[in-house]
Amino acid sequence: MIRATDLRKHFRVHKRPPGLAAAVRSLWHRKYETVKAVDGISFAIARGERVGFLGPNGAGKTTTLKTLSGLLHPTSGTVEVEGHTPFRREGAFLRQITLVMGQKQQLLWDLPPADTFAMNRALYDVPVAQFDATMKELTELLDLGPLVTKPTRQLSLGEHMKCELACALLHRPTTLFLDEPTIGLDVSMQLAIREFIRDYNQRHEATVILTSHYMEDVVALCPRVIVIDGGRLIHDGDLRGLIKTMHPGKLVSFTLTAPMADDELARLGAITREGNRVVVQIAEAALREAVGHLLASASVTDLSIEDPPLEVVMRALFKDGAAPATT
Amino acid sequence: MTAALRYPRLLALQLRVSLTTAMQYRADFVVEGLMSVYWVSWNLLPLLILYADRPSVAGWDFPSALVVIGWFVVLRGILEGAINPSLVDIVERIRTGAFDYVLLKPADSQFLISTARFAPWRIIDVIGGFVILVIAFARLGRTPAVGDLAAGGLLMLAAVIVMYALWVGVVAASFWVVRLDNLTYLLGALFDTARWPVQVFRGAWRFLFTFVLPMALMTTYPAMALLGRIDVTTALACVAGALALAIGARLLWIGAVRNYTSASS
Repeated sequence: MIRATDLRKHFRVHKRPPGLAAAVRSLWHRKYETVKAVDGISFAIARGERVGFLGPNGAGKTTTLKTLSGLLHPTSGTVEVEGHTPFRREGAFLRQITLVMGQKQQLLWDLPPADTFAMNRALYDVPVAQFDATMKELTELLDLGPLVTKPTRQLSLGEHMKCELACALLHRPTTLFLDEPTIGLDVSMQLAIREFIRDYNQRHEATVILTSHYMEDVVALCPRVIVIDGGRLIHDGDLRGLIKTMHPGKLVSFTLTAPMADDELARLGAITREGNRVVVQIAEAALREAVGHLLASASVTDLSIEDPPLEVVMRALFKDGAAPATT
Repeated sequence: MTAALRYPRLLALQLRVSLTTAMQYRADFVVEGLMSVYWVSWNLLPLLILYADRPSVAGWDFPSALVVIGWFVVLRGILEGAINPSLVDIVERIRTGAFDYVLLKPADSQFLISTARFAPWRIIDVIGGFVILVIAFARLGRTPAVGDLAAGGLLMLAAVIVMYALWVGVVAASFWVVRLDNLTYLLGALFDTARWPVQVFRGAWRFLFTFVLPMALMTTYPAMALLGRIDVTTALACVAGALALAIGARLLWIGAVRNYTSASS
């Protein structure tokens, strides 16, 4: 169980205008301002849930994640992870969690990952038998094979990330904080990592909290999303609910085999056109009738019905600022 | 694994990892080894020039000053082999943010960063330093008494603790002062003064190098103990000073980590 209550993290940062004169002045007179990275967030996450943190850059996602993992002291409010107060960083707490940061590495650069694995085994006091079993399982799931004996510096970005994940999970943590775990990876590798995370979550009933700039990661992995913007929580609930609130209706796309006037199409809903390909946003209530009408038309082919892409929903959400908090 | 054995085992593992890393670069191993031999010889040059036309400086004759230099070379070997590599490593980790991973491990963070890297070839400096010590005593025409050896050993240990404490202080400062490379440069330059017996310096400088920056504790007093020239009070004061510095460094480290975790983003 993870619980954050009115969590706040404020940073005091030194601020000065550009230029030499201002730099000299700032030697004596420093101006500080308070940045409210996280500003009163509350949520509760049950054991085994997979939750996505969404928000633009600088929204406070990583700060929240770092506070949950014990790297940062909250300015005020309380945080509790599996019965522990994270910033105390007690051994029992640290053995239960893991933090994977896609942009930072813990593998020793000059040595094969196997050496870092051995180091972590000793640090977490993992019994040899359990270590071997976990290693076997991770090697299978992540298709590590010969990677673990190659020097880390010779691994490709994707191979490196797979080994970082293995390294972070060797002690079988039950709470996973994943900060951009698929950053810079190609599509097939992203897919592999996603599948692996879901599999790990189900096998070990592990709680997963994920931040990612790739919306597909969040769509595929997280039934629940927490949207943070400007340090505040603006949505906490299921992903589908968020999409429905922000972007009611479906996107119906089709190809025209014969010309059709925009006027006629616009009666169905908002349209975007690219040559013969047309996308119409249709309210859910009118969907059945509109699609029936389109299918009956001899000049429509290749019709599909989709939810609006999450990127579009997010753009609308952050453009409007505070969206209605659902759930 | 019992708690008492945990840290020695982790230390052994960290040493093994450093040795393995060093072995990855075979050419470096040879070059660094040769460099060590070169530096050991280079350290003797100023001493040879200074004593070329005078029998004694500030009460120190050539063989006695050689004892100071010998221990200085050993201590520098320890600094370059066991302390500085970790320092460089931790600066890099703070810069890249990988220090976060250190804080998330269920082990003492000061221990982990202090033992992160070793430069095994520096053992050549340490051996070279001991060879100089043997030569110095051969020139004195005697061997140190058992009591002097024990006192010397104790003060050498105190010297290593002093050096380590200063180093932890510098690392802790790096949490506040980002440009740590200047601080390490300063510490390196100051450490170089420890090659001379502290009596060479006069007035304010001697006070500075004894009490403020304890260079005297690092080389002069252990050498004096080996030579049988130290009184019990001074020896005990050295040990007490080393312990005080170690405690101070620990407190500074705890404060620095707390500052890091409440200020970093």
